Parts: sequence; C-alpha cells; structure tokens
Amino acid sequence: MNYQHPQPQPPQQSGEGKHDDDAAVTEFLASLLEYTPTIPDELVEHYLGKSGFQCPDVRLIRLVAVATQKFVAEVASDALQHCKARQASIVKDKGNKQQKVSALYCSLLTSII
Amino acid sequence: MNNGVANTHGDSEHPSTRRPNANDFGRAVSRVAVAQICEGVGFESFRSSALDSLADIAARYLCDIGKASASYANLAGRTECNVFDIIRALEDVGNFQGFMGASEVSDCIASSGMMRETIEYVEISEEIPFVHPLPWFPVNRERRLIPSFCQMDETPPGDHIPSWLPALPDPHTYKQTPMWSERKSEQRADKLEQARQRRKVEKSLLNLQQRLAICGPAGGATSSFAPDDSVRGIQSVEGNPFLDPPLQAGEKDTPTFNMSDMVNGPGKDNDASVFKTFVPAIEAVRDQFSDDADGDINDKSKVLPFKRSAIHFKFKTSKKVLGQSLDLDLRNTCIEKPISGRVLGDERDEKKRRAEYILQQSMENPQELTQL
Repeated sequence: MNYQHPQPQPPQQSGEGKHDDDAAVTEFLASLLEYTPTIPDELVEHYLGKSGFQCPDVRLIRLVAVATQKFVAEVASDALQHCKARQASIVKDKGNKQQKVSALYCSLLTSII
Repeated sequence: MNNGVANTHGDSEHPSTRRPNANDFGRAVSRVAVAQICEGVGFESFRSSALDSLADIAARYLCDIGKASASYANLAGRTECNVFDIIRALEDVGNFQGFMGASEVSDCIASSGMMRETIEYVEISEEIPFVHPLPWFPVNRERRLIPSFCQMDETPPGDHIPSWLPALPDPHTYKQTPMWSERKSEQRADKLEQARQRRKVEKSLLNLQQRLAICGPAGGATSSFAPDDSVRGIQSVEGNPFLDPPLQAGEKDTPTFNMSDMVNGPGKDNDASVFKTFVPAIEAVRDQFSDDADGDINDKSKVLPFKRSAIHFKFKTSKKVLGQSLDLDLRNTCIEKPISGRVLGDERDEKKRRAEYILQQSMENPQELTQL
C-alpha cells in the first residue's frame, strides 16, 4: 500500500513534464526559424547528406546547425580561457593572442578529445 | 603536411598548386563559419592551421551527428529522421563536457539536458548570420545519357533486349567497316568537266583566229573580224594602220593594256597574234556605237551581232573563271542593244580587262590551243 501512493504521482508529473517539454521543444523549433545559425544551412545539409541523414524539415537542419555552433563555441571559449590564463601568468609587452592560439590548440585538443 | 606537391615552401600550404577537390568548397565554407563563431566568442586573430583543424572538427561533428541520427531512424524502421533521432544522436555524439541529466534514463527525450542546454544557448547567444550568400552545393552536373533504342528509333538486335535500354554503339566505332571512296569518282568527274571546258575554250579561240585570219594577214590594230567589206571600209577611213595612233588613245581615257605591243607587229608567237586579234574585236564594237555613220552601222549591225553571238567567252578552265563567265554573258547580251555612252565606256573597260585575262589564260595553257 505504501508503494501504491507514490506510484500514480510520478506518471502525472512526468505527463505534465512531457507536455511542458514538448511545448518547450516545439516553441524552440519554431523560434529556430527566426534564428539564423552561423553555420549555413547548405553546409550542414551537405555534410549530413554525406553521412546518410535525410530530412526535408528545415527546423531540424537548423537544430543540428545550432548544436554544432554550440559545440564550436564551447571549444573556442575554453581555448580563450586557456589563452587568457596563460597571458595572465606570463607577462608580455605584446598582448598578442595569435601566437598563443595554435600552441593552445594542440594542448586543448589533446585535453578535450 | 606535404600533399606530394613539389612546390611547397616550408610548412605553409599552397592550395593554388593543388587541383581543387570536391571537399574543398565545404572546407572553405566551414572555415569561414568557424572563424565567425570564434570571433563572436572573443578571439581576435587565428592561426590558419588552428582554424583548419577546428573547421575539420566541426565538419566531423556534423557527419557524426548525421550518422548517429540516421542509424537511430533506421533502427526505428524509418528512413527519414525525426527530432528525437537528432536529440538522441546529440546525446550520443556527446558534448565532451557532458550535459545535465546524462545519467538519468528518461522516456521523454524532450526533457533531456541536451535540449535544454541547446535552448539556453540559443536564447543567450547573439545571432551571427553567415557572411557570404551560398549557392546550393554540391552542384550536380547534367549527365548526357546514351539515348535508348526507342529514342533512336532503332530496333534492338534480338528479342532479349528491351527497347528502353540504351542503344548499342555504331559498328564503325568498334570494328573496321568497309568504306567506299567517293572522292575518286568526284575527281574524275571534275577532270572530265575541266577537259570539256578547255575544249570549248580552244574551239572558240580557234574560231576567232580563223575569222581574223580571214579578215587579212596584215593584221594591225584597227583590223576587225568583220567581213572584208567593212574591214576595208574602216581601213580606208583610218589610213595606214601602222602610223595612226591607236583608237583607244584617242577615244578612251585609260587604256588597260599596252598598245605598243600590238602596233609593233606580230613579231611574237602565235599567242601574241591571238592577243592582237582580240583588240580589234573590241574596237570594232566601240566603233559601232561611237560612229553614227549610217552605212557602216548598217553593215556592222548586220555583221557584228552575227559575230558576237558566235563568240562565247565562257572559259571554264579553272574554277576562278566560272564566276566571271556570267559577266561575259551579260556583256554579250548588252552589246546587241544600243546603250548610252557612259555605260558603254564602263563595259569597254571591262571588256578590255576580260579580254586581257582570257588571253593570259590561253597563254598559260599553250598546249591546249594545239589540242583541237
């Protein structure tokens, strides 16, 4: 009997959660149409087509593009943080980020992947 | 990073020396996109090698998402992917940092942490559209297909071949087929034609010569090919032909050929006499229209048209003469009618030129004159 009480509750909550999540996702997908990701749709479709992904819906393409953009942005922000950390530790006259990037990059890549 | 090209200097690549690959366009576009993202994050400058690496990583990320979502869709028995397929694929490919709720296995995919994070990212980040407008790629070239049997209106050899299949190649493309040489007969026909035309030329020249011989062995610039009466009449009028100046010098402004050769006498070969005999013919025609003497005109009118019709300057020894024969015919027809002086003058010049040309032709082929 003790078991029975909490049982009906989670499904209800998850049912409501589902609706909320679904609503959120559908809203998100609708908003994607207005948002233009930096990665162009043609490029995304080209690479997805290469790997066998087939979808006529533009929103899904945009979703993938946004996800990739997020991924790249995260990698870049991490690299920037590393770069700034290094600059703070090593004081130089030229605040040149360029020289640091590539070196950071190899180390960053090895740490990330 | 040598691609086997000999012109690479140091560590830098020379993409201009390589032939562009099919992937190069996609790579270039992804480079630009990634550079834009990094600029949005806060970077000020990039190393090209670093940028290339990141662009490659982004492309591989895209491919991985595609593969994973396609496999999930196929697992569910579909060929087209769903939003849920994509979310699962995103979770699979995985942010290297992980996402919230990865450990929880929930039925509802829409509530996955991945989606939430993505939604947050979209809301937070500012929109950076891609810089350049892109055409749809890869561009598919139209392939020219081999036409089928029914398109070529051919029946396929054998019942086992359906007509909608592409047609078989022509037999001359893969084996030696006999060729009949058509050119030989053409050459022969051409030669026959040429010989016929030469004979015509010779005939007319011979006729002319005979008539001129009839006129008088004295020859001279003023002798015409008219019968003796009119010739004597002309000669009596003009006196000694050797001493008189040539008619053209008095009447015409621009003599087209050298009269001195003719006045000097027939000291040259047969060809020169033929040359001379042409001039009096032309002058006689001129005399006909310039003089208004009644009797002479009557005689000449009786004589000349008869003579004129016999002379056909249709020399077809070579193709270049063919085009000119029409002019001569026109001139022949014009001569029989009285025409105004100005037109006549032009015609006379032309006639002189024509006569000159014909004589040159005949001189070029002296052997044919004898073949009669």
